[in-house]
Amino acid sequence: MTSQYAAELCTLLIEEQFGELFARIFSTLQRYERLTLPRLKFHARLADRQLRAALTAMIQHHLIYHFTSLEDNNTYYEANPQAAYYLVRSGKILNLVEERLGEYAARVMEMVLFLGHASVNHLETLPELRSLNPESANGIINGNGEHTENEEEFGADQEATNGTEEISEQPAQNGHDDAEKMIALLHSTLRALASHGYLSRVREAHFQSPSDNILEAQRAVSSRPDIKALKGKRQQEAIASDTDTLLTERTHADLSMGLMVDGMPRGVKRKFRNGASDSTNAHLTNGVNGNGAHAENDYAEEDDEFDNVPMESGLVVRVNYQKLDVALRNDRFVSLAQEEAPPATTEVYECLLRRFEYVTQRCREGVEIPREGEEGEQWTIPIDAEKLLEDIDPSLDLSTAFAPVEATTFSLNQRGKRPLENGINGNHDNNDEDSGPSRAWEINQHLHLLAQPPFNLTSCVELYGVPKWRVGFRGLARKLRGLELERMIESRYGDVALRVIRVLHAKGKLDEKRLQEISFLPWKDLRQTLSSMQTGGFVDLQEVPKDAQRQPSKTIFLWYYDPDRVCGSILEDTYKAMSRTMQRIKVERERLKDFLEKTERSDVKGHEEEYLTEEELERLQRWKDKEALLLAEVARLDDMVAVFRDY
Amino acid sequence: MAAAGSRVNELASQLYDACADQFDADHSFYQQDLLSLGIIPGDDLPLLLQCTQSLVNQKLFRLLETQNKRLVWRLVAREDAEKLQTLKGDESLVFGVIHSSGRSGVWIRNIQSRTNLHKSILDRCLKTLEGKNYIKTVHNVKHPTKKMYMLAGLAPSEDVTGGAWFTDGVLDANFINSVAGYIEYTVSRKSWYEVPADRGRGAKRIKTETGKTDVMTEPAEKTFLPYPASYAGYPTVDAITRAVNESGITPVQLGSESVVQLLQMLCFDRKLVALNNGTQYKSLKNPEIVKGYQTRKPVLEGEEPQSSVNLGKNGMTESPCGPCPSFRLCTPGGAISPETCEYFDPWFEKVLGF
Repeated sequence: MTSQYAAELCTLLIEEQFGELFARIFSTLQRYERLTLPRLKFHARLADRQLRAALTAMIQHHLIYHFTSLEDNNTYYEANPQAAYYLVRSGKILNLVEERLGEYAARVMEMVLFLGHASVNHLETLPELRSLNPESANGIINGNGEHTENEEEFGADQEATNGTEEISEQPAQNGHDDAEKMIALLHSTLRALASHGYLSRVREAHFQSPSDNILEAQRAVSSRPDIKALKGKRQQEAIASDTDTLLTERTHADLSMGLMVDGMPRGVKRKFRNGASDSTNAHLTNGVNGNGAHAENDYAEEDDEFDNVPMESGLVVRVNYQKLDVALRNDRFVSLAQEEAPPATTEVYECLLRRFEYVTQRCREGVEIPREGEEGEQWTIPIDAEKLLEDIDPSLDLSTAFAPVEATTFSLNQRGKRPLENGINGNHDNNDEDSGPSRAWEINQHLHLLAQPPFNLTSCVELYGVPKWRVGFRGLARKLRGLELERMIESRYGDVALRVIRVLHAKGKLDEKRLQEISFLPWKDLRQTLSSMQTGGFVDLQEVPKDAQRQPSKTIFLWYYDPDRVCGSILEDTYKAMSRTMQRIKVERERLKDFLEKTERSDVKGHEEEYLTEEELERLQRWKDKEALLLAEVARLDDMVAVFRDY
Repeated sequence: MAAAGSRVNELASQLYDACADQFDADHSFYQQDLLSLGIIPGDDLPLLLQCTQSLVNQKLFRLLETQNKRLVWRLVAREDAEKLQTLKGDESLVFGVIHSSGRSGVWIRNIQSRTNLHKSILDRCLKTLEGKNYIKTVHNVKHPTKKMYMLAGLAPSEDVTGGAWFTDGVLDANFINSVAGYIEYTVSRKSWYEVPADRGRGAKRIKTETGKTDVMTEPAEKTFLPYPASYAGYPTVDAITRAVNESGITPVQLGSESVVQLLQMLCFDRKLVALNNGTQYKSLKNPEIVKGYQTRKPVLEGEEPQSSVNLGKNGMTESPCGPCPSFRLCTPGGAISPETCEYFDPWFEKVLGF
């Protein structure tokens, strides 16, 4: 994460969001690594006051780690490239939260993102979170629509905070009742976010870099008298294990544990179950999109009854990126399923993955991605199809996605009699006796379909004769990675290259002759493709000399494809492409500088139609489209980074 | 002496005929075998020796030595013997070597080492043999640069030709593509359930509503559904081989090994998927789509604008930076820089349409 292009990208992202001052400090820290305040001041060439103010704010946003050494009493500052990079993903995160937990939750999330971290107390006082209606909060949510327009959000946010005074009068007028209600809503929303794991607790250790934490924990452990009493190897082992426990103790931030009910977080639960048992038509019809706009109202009311225990007011929360990566990764798997399987199956899969999401803390255990082929599969806990029954929208038609099982002995009038509409209505007309078991069976069928190659999205284990379902996330993440690489190869070198790459990937190192036999390609095409891919860095050639003279005629040349290596270099390229795109935004903005300054004048802004000519309006629209396109491209590139680095 | 000679000849030709009658062509004859035929009167060994010698002279017998130093004779067909008789010493030596290699052919360097002839003599011999149309050169796919010879009457073996997929030692791409296309379509027909026409309407609507329409299909009249996992009707290797051989698109009968080779290639193309350890195959695309892109293929051979459709796009393939040829050189403020980049503007035009 500290390569040239990654560093450049982080600096650009910070500049885009927080301005040049932060970017300058950040890039100085990245260039010189750990610095004390005087050294930092010297290298960044900033005034003392400016620097201190900026550092405080950057620490608030977790952009900088600091560590005060007990030995020399110096405080060291260090850049946190992870946090800086995640700025680019905030749009996606908000989208996800809005889709899952509703608009208000997204707004809460946005405030937390905007503040870096925030105490529950502080969130209560924010005027933006005091009304249900997004418009009255100065349109904070406009940014997370189709594109992840981070900086627009930021702009809007700034404005929102600037406009605090005007808005804060509104709730006062609305009366005390509303305020009470809103605070209850805020608490239940926070609770839902926390139980999903999207928010986590901030601890003191989070302000120090991970390596500092480890060192400090080690120091603390090894200075303990009982450890000092040990010697040699046993001491080493004791230190290692105690350091781990101390570390987890210090950095443990998970809030979801106490908030889960039956392995399901609050907020999502009960929706379908209530819907099914009450058989309220509203729920059934809403079913599919119930997660969206309506959900928020639902649980706002329900949660009042169930848990009106407010969140601890002194609690400081921040966004849990690791958990959100898990959720985003699951979304990618769902889209993978979409390509392969019918829509109903995809929905079943989504429900299954949601279940797994609740129990998955992070995408993988180690910091580094293990090398291809050197990693065992890590399976999730198997889940029973019955459990999914209550998660899946009851109105979802599960039966028509397949060919009938008796397809071979298929007779037309038997099936022909049953029109499709019956499938939908029929389910809740006579749901009790027959749809229960057969629905579970259908879910099993859908999951079986997903378990088939090429993707093997699920896997079935038989426990006590009952089929249970699990997902091998690591293997799937690898397939996702392979797919991204293959897409690039296909677009650059065509489908011939794709076949060659797959052969090499499946068979390992091959000489040209064997490669040709398997891939069925003429010599000329094969050689051309291989050499152009070698130039592009996708395949490599190994020489195995038969004698000590290393004559080319007596040397075996083996082609191979190393996805790990390719992935590393593509990741760097992706960072670079992202920063180039960001830089291009700056260039484009510079070109239209005068015009854009006019549109941003306080009198023009918000009244564009009055003050601008038609031509200018069109120009503004074009600029907005262009900017949106570039930002969307950055977001698309971030998808790739996520696949290569985070999943 | 002359009478004795003619008697020997007569006996020899009887011996030859008896051998050809009673044994198969590549049987090795020991002395006992020849005596047991009962043609040589009184098991007269010197007479047998004379007979065999005369047969060897006429090139009708070949004299070989077994591993345990015993003499063995082998039959040579009369036609070959006639040819051999017209040849001079060196030529017959060369012919013998080529003859012994059978259908796999022999490399010119191996002939040289086995006959110990000088290169120029060997070349002359080969030239005359080729001129008499006794031998021919063959292309070996495994060693395309080596010059190989084989008897003119023989068809080269699979090892030499590379199997059914090669014509004149070159991979026959058109043939492969047509067979592969046929296989894919056949497998596809068996891997998807075609909804009968009267129900098709409803099921189709479902598909389109949820956004899972396939871009490739034209207004599809047919709807295809996947089979449930328990379905066992996916075609096996044997079934595919049979279908290919019956279809009449192949001039020769294909063996199942050749078909398996091709099936593996299709798997690498992600067109088929092997199930149950490669005994059954399933197609990933339904017949409609397969037909769609197979009929369209020849049109876009030259331009290939749609090749990226198969796998979809990602950030790197869409962004102007992805295919940029000078991406490595690009630095802010450099000769190639984001400020002066010439790919962004056409990209805006293409994507935004202005």
